[in-house]
Amino acid sequence: MKSWISFLLPDDEYKEKRVLYFFAEGGILLLFTLVGLLILNNYFHLDAETALLMAIAVFLIYVTGRYTLSGIEYTDIATVGAYSKELRHIMFKTSSFAGIFILLYLVFIGVPSSQNEWIDIIGILVVFSLFWFLTNYISLKRSYKKNKELL
Amino acid sequence: MVNKLKSARVQKDYTQEQLAKRVNATRQTIGLIEKGKYNPSLNLCIAIAKELDKTLDDLFWEDELS
Repeated sequence: MKSWISFLLPDDEYKEKRVLYFFAEGGILLLFTLVGLLILNNYFHLDAETALLMAIAVFLIYVTGRYTLSGIEYTDIATVGAYSKELRHIMFKTSSFAGIFILLYLVFIGVPSSQNEWIDIIGILVVFSLFWFLTNYISLKRSYKKNKELL
Repeated sequence: MVNKLKSARVQKDYTQEQLAKRVNATRQTIGLIEKGKYNPSLNLCIAIAKELDKTLDDLFWEDELS
């Protein structure tokens, strides 16, 4: 089926179907959120930026969360060996992400000049790295469990 | 959907991964079809049947015994 959204979809038909459902569910949820915000706007003053960010967050968190929990990301991980290897790969990717982040920060923003700035940058780094690692770890764990049952 | 995919695959001496690669799917999708947890498209059914030298009836038609 021809659609401009095809470039966002995986080649495998099962994964494609699941991802399409996640996008569609996210879209409906986004519509409800927008209607809710419209009604709330009559009672509380919501500035446009907050409302838009909330709507984007609802869609992104829902779609990412469903994808992560569905166990469809790591389709070939079904043995202990493959699981351990992939886990090491995730740890390596997380470390690389942290390394590149700090390097880009130092190059483009500069070396933090005070202790507070150091705490800020390390805090952001830890939160993002932890988020990155946890989403990948949960996705791997769910995929492994699902694939083991299908052997 | 009850099917005889697993026995046909084993008969042909393919792993799930090998069959998946040959029909442009993932190992997980083949596993789900074998367990009857996913109904594949007609295109994928045909690709699998061709790869295993079977007909669609051989693989996916439910006879009275199953």
